[in-house]
Amino acid sequence: MDILIIGLNHKSAEIGNRETVSKKLLTIELRQDFTNKLLDMKDENGRPFIKEVVVLTTCNRSEFIMHLSSQASYGKGGHIIKSLIAKHFFGDAAGENIFYMHLNEDAVRHLFSVASSLDSMIIGEPQILGQMKEAYNEACKFKTSGRFLNKLFHKAFNCAKTVRTETGIATSPVSVSYAAVELSKKVFNSLDEKKVLLLGAGEMGKLTVKHFIKYGVRNIYIANRTKENALRFIEESFSSTEKEYLNVIDFSEYYKLLPQSDIVLCSTGSEDYVLKYVDIIPVIKIRKQRPLFLIDISMPRNIDPEINKIPNVYLFDIDDIGKMIEDNIEIRKQEADAAKEFVETAVKEFMNWKESLNVVPVIISLRNKVKDILEIELSKYIGDKKEKDLIINSLTNKILHEPTMLIKKASANSEGISSIETIKALFNLDSEDLTDTDKGKENENVSKYIKLIK
Amino acid sequence: MLKELYLIPVAVYIFSYLPLLFQKKKMYKVFISLIYAGFALQTLIFFIFLGIKGFTVPVHIDRFVFFNAWILMFIVVLFGLFYKVEYILLYITPLVALNLLIGFFVPHVHIKLVMLNADKTILLTHIVLILIGDSLFALAFIVSLIYIFQERKIKNKKNLKLFDKKDIQLQEVLHSGGGYNLELLDNINYQCLKIGFPFITLGIVMGIYLSGSLFGTFMVVKPIEIMSLITWLIYAVLLHERMAKGLRGKRAAVFSVAGFLLILFSLSFSFYLFPAFHGLK
Repeated sequence: MDILIIGLNHKSAEIGNRETVSKKLLTIELRQDFTNKLLDMKDENGRPFIKEVVVLTTCNRSEFIMHLSSQASYGKGGHIIKSLIAKHFFGDAAGENIFYMHLNEDAVRHLFSVASSLDSMIIGEPQILGQMKEAYNEACKFKTSGRFLNKLFHKAFNCAKTVRTETGIATSPVSVSYAAVELSKKVFNSLDEKKVLLLGAGEMGKLTVKHFIKYGVRNIYIANRTKENALRFIEESFSSTEKEYLNVIDFSEYYKLLPQSDIVLCSTGSEDYVLKYVDIIPVIKIRKQRPLFLIDISMPRNIDPEINKIPNVYLFDIDDIGKMIEDNIEIRKQEADAAKEFVETAVKEFMNWKESLNVVPVIISLRNKVKDILEIELSKYIGDKKEKDLIINSLTNKILHEPTMLIKKASANSEGISSIETIKALFNLDSEDLTDTDKGKENENVSKYIKLIK
Repeated sequence: MLKELYLIPVAVYIFSYLPLLFQKKKMYKVFISLIYAGFALQTLIFFIFLGIKGFTVPVHIDRFVFFNAWILMFIVVLFGLFYKVEYILLYITPLVALNLLIGFFVPHVHIKLVMLNADKTILLTHIVLILIGDSLFALAFIVSLIYIFQERKIKNKKNLKLFDKKDIQLQEVLHSGGGYNLELLDNINYQCLKIGFPFITLGIVMGIYLSGSLFGTFMVVKPIEIMSLITWLIYAVLLHERMAKGLRGKRAAVFSVAGFLLILFSLSFSFYLFPAFHGLK
């Protein structure tokens, strides 16, 4: 019952490597193909390595959050999975070093830190939580996330909420969107008369547009490949006042609007460059050399980096912005220290819950044992099956209430292992055959246990 | 001997930089206030000279330099207030102080003009026009240098810091505040060019007239005229490119820098190598 996270982010990998991975996880189909590939991994006896998977992919990270089966021990299974991932994305296992790997408590801590935006390029930025929720919803939709990861993700969301409300990590205005607006003010004197063109309709684009409106921009054009999505994006993401400044155009027409646009914000999911060097040369001539400010917040990059070489054109990609706000991140680190305490508490709670799951087979085995004895003995006196089952259940609960509580408490700390062993010896329990039963039966047992705890 | 008066604003200007050593934002306001105080003193001295001599052709080289420093500071203060870019004073004031020090150290030489009395009004107008034009181009030069450095920072994405609005530091005010945006710097550069060019043009026309009058003929082309025309041509081309073709940004800034360096060269050329061409003895 191990939790394994394998991934890469802005700290561990260069933009080019992140781009390579991101491109192969760009669409739902690509993500699901790879998820199925992971779930199909089996050991020499044909038993699956991985029970549940959630694929999280954002502009700065790609991670695979996995619930491993007991067959995949960390030392062996984890590395086999990592090799497969490296081979899938980089063609050979040499790319393995680019990926990091976290197991169990480290993995939980990592995931909670990611959800709480403590591991983000910009500490405290709010987008990551939304992106994690999307990744989780996708996994739920395709049923690649089960009870275990459900619990893990819900706990992560709760942890993120606590961190946001209890610390000042999100109160400071620093974010990619804020940085984008601040950077544009280094080029333009006033944003009031400027025209902004947004390509793509994503979360980051939404926040940046909101910031631009806040700083006085009144002409914003949005071009998305699917016009309906752009209209829905406006409807769902902006207030009625903000909507007055927004105009949707056909994606095919964005090029015509480039000469009039002063700021272009690119956030599409395209694999190739949407804006190429040769596209901008005539545009800047038509603009009579008026400055053009380009922000590429997409991953993979959608604007050719060579464009930055054109006079009076200024291009910033997600990495450039990240580097620039490093100083501000330093200030936020103080808040992050306080946030880490909340994360630690949440990690401890989750690990207690996880540990308690390890005793499920013992409890079930104990209950079955008691039930079997009662069944044999009561059958001698009670003929009615319904009445007999009722008495058996009632007596089992009463007899085992104290031992169950003891086992639960014992599972929370390492010293309790001896207590569990004593119980197993006392009642001659063999829980081994319960641990590796088929998936359906185990889920059923866990389900029973959860009900029992409740 | 009133030359010692020049040292008062110089002392104030030098002293005004001391508060900045404290690295506090409040000290920036003290710095600006002291610079304005220095300029007020400079203006007072200017009016003292006017009261003594009246509005006549400066016949002492030190007065000429002092007048140049005053006009430059006056223009920079006006632009600083109008465009809310008072930080430019940080870069211009050392030039003004240097001008005043030169004024103090140069010998109190009496410039003898070989010129008819009737031409002296034209000469005075020529000097005022050229000094205003040159001061505007000097401002354009400084602004262009700031533009080039700032643009380089943005292009290379190096040393480009974003500051938290709630805690604006002195560093932001001095190096990357709102007034450092490229559009504004380019606009100031353009305005300096648009205003300065007619002044320089008229000044050169009057200079050519005075030169012709001095040598008795307009037919002989003098080196000073060639130098002036080359400088004028650079600014004319720059103005044309800006107005007709929309030239702006780094290229326009480089043009401005080159133009001003040529002005410095032509002034040195005419005053030190061929003083006779300027009607000086």
